[in-house]
Amino acid sequence: MRERLEELRREALAIVAEAGEEARLREVEVRFLGRNGEITGLLRQLGSLPADQRPAAGREANLVKAALQEALDQRRDQLQQASLARELRGEGFDPTLPGPPPPAGALHPLSQVQRRLEDLFSSMGFLVADGPEVEWESYNFDALNIPPDHPAREAQDTIFVRAPQATAEASAAAESDGKADGVVLRSHTSTVQIRALKKHGPPLRVVAPGRVFRQEAQDATHEHTFHQMEGLVVDRGVGVAHMLHAMNSLLEGLFGRKLETRLRPGFFPFVEPGFELDARCPFCDSGCRVCKGSTWIELMPGGLVHPNVLEACDVDPEVYSGYAFGLGLSRVVMLSYGIDDIRWLLSGDLRFLRQFPS
Amino acid sequence: MKISLNWVGEFVDLDDQDPAQVAELLSLHTAEVEGLEVFGDNLREVVVGEVVECGRHPQADKLSVTRVAFGAGETVQVVCGAPNVRQGLKVAFAPVGTVLPGGLKLKKAKLRGELSMGMICSAQELELSEDHQGILELQPEAKVGQPLIEHLALADPVLELDNKSLTHRPDLWGHYGFARELAAILQRPLKPLPVLADWPEAQSEIPIHLLDPEGCPLYLGLPVELGGRPSPSPEWLQRRLLAVGQRPLSDIVDLTNFVLLELGQPTHAFDLDRLSGPEIQVRAAEEGEVLTTLDGQPRSLQAQDLVIADGSGGVALAGVMGGGETEVGDSTERILLESAVFHPVRIRRTSKRLALRTEASSRFEKSLDPALAEQALQRFAYLLAKVRPQARLMAAPAKTGQAAAPQRRLQLEPAKTSALLGLPLQAEEMLRPLQALGFQTEAKDESRQAYWVEVPSWRATKDVTLDIDLVEEVGRLAGYHRIEAVPLRAPVEAPWKDPVRNLARRLCDRMAGTHHGFESQAYSFLDQRWAKRLNLPLEAFARLQNPVQEGVDLVRRDPIPSLLEQVPANLLENERGLLFECAKGYQPGNGPLPEERIWFGAVAWSPKSKTEDGPESMFGRMRSLTEDLLRCAPLDDWQVQTGLPSKQDALQAPWAHPSQSLCWHSSPKTKDAGRILAVSAMLDPQLREELSLENVAVGLFLLDLAALTQLCEGRLPRFESPARFPAIKVDVALALPVTVAYDQVEKALREAGGKLLEDLRLFDIFQGASLGEGIRSLAFHATLRSASKTLSEKDEQKFLKRVEAAAQRLGGNLRSC
Ligand SMILES: [Zn+2]
Repeated sequence: MRERLEELRREALAIVAEAGEEARLREVEVRFLGRNGEITGLLRQLGSLPADQRPAAGREANLVKAALQEALDQRRDQLQQASLARELRGEGFDPTLPGPPPPAGALHPLSQVQRRLEDLFSSMGFLVADGPEVEWESYNFDALNIPPDHPAREAQDTIFVRAPQATAEASAAAESDGKADGVVLRSHTSTVQIRALKKHGPPLRVVAPGRVFRQEAQDATHEHTFHQMEGLVVDRGVGVAHMLHAMNSLLEGLFGRKLETRLRPGFFPFVEPGFELDARCPFCDSGCRVCKGSTWIELMPGGLVHPNVLEACDVDPEVYSGYAFGLGLSRVVMLSYGIDDIRWLLSGDLRFLRQFPS
Repeated sequence: MKISLNWVGEFVDLDDQDPAQVAELLSLHTAEVEGLEVFGDNLREVVVGEVVECGRHPQADKLSVTRVAFGAGETVQVVCGAPNVRQGLKVAFAPVGTVLPGGLKLKKAKLRGELSMGMICSAQELELSEDHQGILELQPEAKVGQPLIEHLALADPVLELDNKSLTHRPDLWGHYGFARELAAILQRPLKPLPVLADWPEAQSEIPIHLLDPEGCPLYLGLPVELGGRPSPSPEWLQRRLLAVGQRPLSDIVDLTNFVLLELGQPTHAFDLDRLSGPEIQVRAAEEGEVLTTLDGQPRSLQAQDLVIADGSGGVALAGVMGGGETEVGDSTERILLESAVFHPVRIRRTSKRLALRTEASSRFEKSLDPALAEQALQRFAYLLAKVRPQARLMAAPAKTGQAAAPQRRLQLEPAKTSALLGLPLQAEEMLRPLQALGFQTEAKDESRQAYWVEVPSWRATKDVTLDIDLVEEVGRLAGYHRIEAVPLRAPVEAPWKDPVRNLARRLCDRMAGTHHGFESQAYSFLDQRWAKRLNLPLEAFARLQNPVQEGVDLVRRDPIPSLLEQVPANLLENERGLLFECAKGYQPGNGPLPEERIWFGAVAWSPKSKTEDGPESMFGRMRSLTEDLLRCAPLDDWQVQTGLPSKQDALQAPWAHPSQSLCWHSSPKTKDAGRILAVSAMLDPQLREELSLENVAVGLFLLDLAALTQLCEGRLPRFESPARFPAIKVDVALALPVTVAYDQVEKALREAGGKLLEDLRLFDIFQGASLGEGIRSLAFHATLRSASKTLSEKDEQKFLKRVEAAAQRLGGNLRSC
């Protein structure tokens, strides 16, 4: 038995000494010290020895067991140290491998820019309003001081909606009374001026983003469907300087820094006086393609709300004044991201939509 | 419109002004200048040359071989074909290397064997006039080598203005108007326009009948004897016209054009001897009347069009274009010059309908100052005497009818004006520029708090009509660019927020962020074919009267069809995708204005999977997306039904697969019980084929945002405290006939689990030979938990027994897991 014990001890220690990985040590542990292990088996045979030999044999067997256990622990420790050292050295690890493609998803760039502006104006106490895309002709024109004979009113620019069969007769009758009101796809978000003023009355601060429509053939710079954002403030003592402040704030929010701006004359029937706002080109210092070399870009029309418009909304122009401005959201989105063709915006093309992680 | 600064400079001193500076001033104070070009700049390289030798070409009779000195070193040999080339002549010479106005670059050439080192130019080759009879002959004292533009004092800075920015300014359709504007801006005197002081005593007796006084309230006809045939205009006149892009023709026609470009008032010269009568009638056209305009086009007229007729019929389309028969030609000896006031809107309608926009029509439609009608004739007469001394006014013009700009007296309040503009201006600073523009001002009373301002006729027709218009005049002349921004002082108040917009925004974020969808924007219009595809009558749509594209005249009712249109193009490069859009939809309502709805719609596509149902299928995905968005609303309870919405439902889904669809209604426990909230579905098979989407699985859902908002506004999810006792997870699989629908199985399992069943999740569906014909296996993860104790193995066994019983009731059995 002693010899057998010695044999096992030698064999086990030799395997432990050679073991190159922890799995091998576990094998040794199971084979010699496990429930059915060889040394455990010998220990179990102790009972068959003469009683006088039992204590010594028992002691020896336990010594062997302890020695083996210690050797195992030591070796395991060594192996763990070595493996940690290897890991720390970066062996077997390629940090340059790519990760899996992340699942993507994004808001439309129009929404992203629109939200930025909505939040900005909201923080200045403006409410964000909405208006119908299919609108009364009178809201799109008459109430905005664009009388029936105004060139902007002609079919070339505006898309009209047919009278539904049931009301065609009624409207024909109204037309003969001179009270006809047609239906159009709104050609500007300025209609919201009328809706918001009629609904909320002064004092009022409102921005209204949305789609507008024009009878226009499509190409890289023209779309029949595009987005605008209208701003309107009506209160006592509102003037051009306030409008300029709001416009400047908007541009700062849009481009992330203050831009030098200037107002110059512009003509729009629903404002008086009317303006165009130019900003120093945010894309260059001394002229580029965007500003056509002038270092100014025309960004926003605006003006003081025409007294006729206030009156159309039952607001007394003697008491209140206001300003309105319009931002071409689609154009600003194109400028901001360098989009070269307006038709991308409504294409639903994933190759386009993917480029604006939100 | 092109404005020559040399021309404007005749009336206001611009000598010390840089043209770019003038352009900037106009942009800042008047209207946007879009470009600045120097007329003559394209002749930069052409110089004064002298023909020092001139001899016959040995090989060609019509060619001469010359030597030309042009100031730069040696003389060069030049072959010239002009009959008037001769020794000693000073000429316009283009050396080799010159780029001529037409874009031609001169090279060394051999003409019939003789070397030619440049070109002696005709006026036509230099685009200086139409004269191509021979080379341009310069004055003998011209300095050899001097650039031609300098010698002829040709260089003329020309501004390009955007016509649209001038539509409201009838006074700015001629050079004199710009001179007035610049005089006011630069605070310099404006020279008066030289005109004929007195008409001849005798009145023209050619009768003029105004039969449509609305269309033409005032008409003047000036008879002129030309004293010979029309001839080319003098160079200065030709050059003025050329600089602004107008082709010189003959002196009479050129003069009418000159007056138009200077004053903005169109006139028309009739050949008096071809006018039958002679007499003039101005009348409304007869419906269907045909008139051939001088471009040779027969024009079919309508009753609102305005016609100038002579004794035998129409001779001109009033305010738009003359007729061919009475046009001034080479043989004309006497003319009748027309200058009139025409109804702006009728002129515009006619020119628009006939797509015939002319220099005349684009001015008449602007509501010109009626006083211009006579001034134009006076200016014409003045210039005629210079250009064509042999001509003679036969009589004073016959002036028929009456028209004058409205007298307008407006009020200017300096304090109010200053406040509105945000420009601290003194009254004097406001009045001076107004006066420079021709406004007359007068203090209203001694306090000088307000002023009366009389509007000059050239601004009174429609441009300046209200007090606020004076604020504009004052502001723009002072310079809007001087206004400094001031924040508005207003009470700090949280603005009202639209709950529908709020919900839309949250759902968009959820779709993009959690579900990796892409927000899209699709067109609002649909091709008429969609009506048939969706099995809807055309009347179910709001329709466009004048669609951008023929046949694309339906306004979408909901975003699904237009989102579907975006799928096929994407398929080329993306085998799967998820697009969503928050959009408005329209359908005919009770009145003329269609009914508006706000939708949240989505379309997803992916390669077809092996199973068409189950949690991993497209259908299942649409279901769980819909559920998730409803939860976000937030909603925790609803009813789901298979199939399409009923006719009464306020959401119709004509694009949905009739049997692979689910309708989501509000729970009976809520205030708006049974209201439809959403539909999720697979694409209708017929549409699938129509849109060539047979090879992909296409799923859709549509949510009614207004309905959801009403149901959920102000709601927040309720927190439930997590249970304290551990759960047991049990997997069970049931083999059941395929005819047993999932929801029956789920119901049975929930009954079996009772209160202890916390969660039940289908994780596998299997069908195979090992199970037998018509049998499928549904495998579930079940989570059992008690709120009051730790569950034991006994509880698990009990549950399994009940599940087994349930499986047997459903005609199947519990499989071991
Ligand atoms: Zn730039």
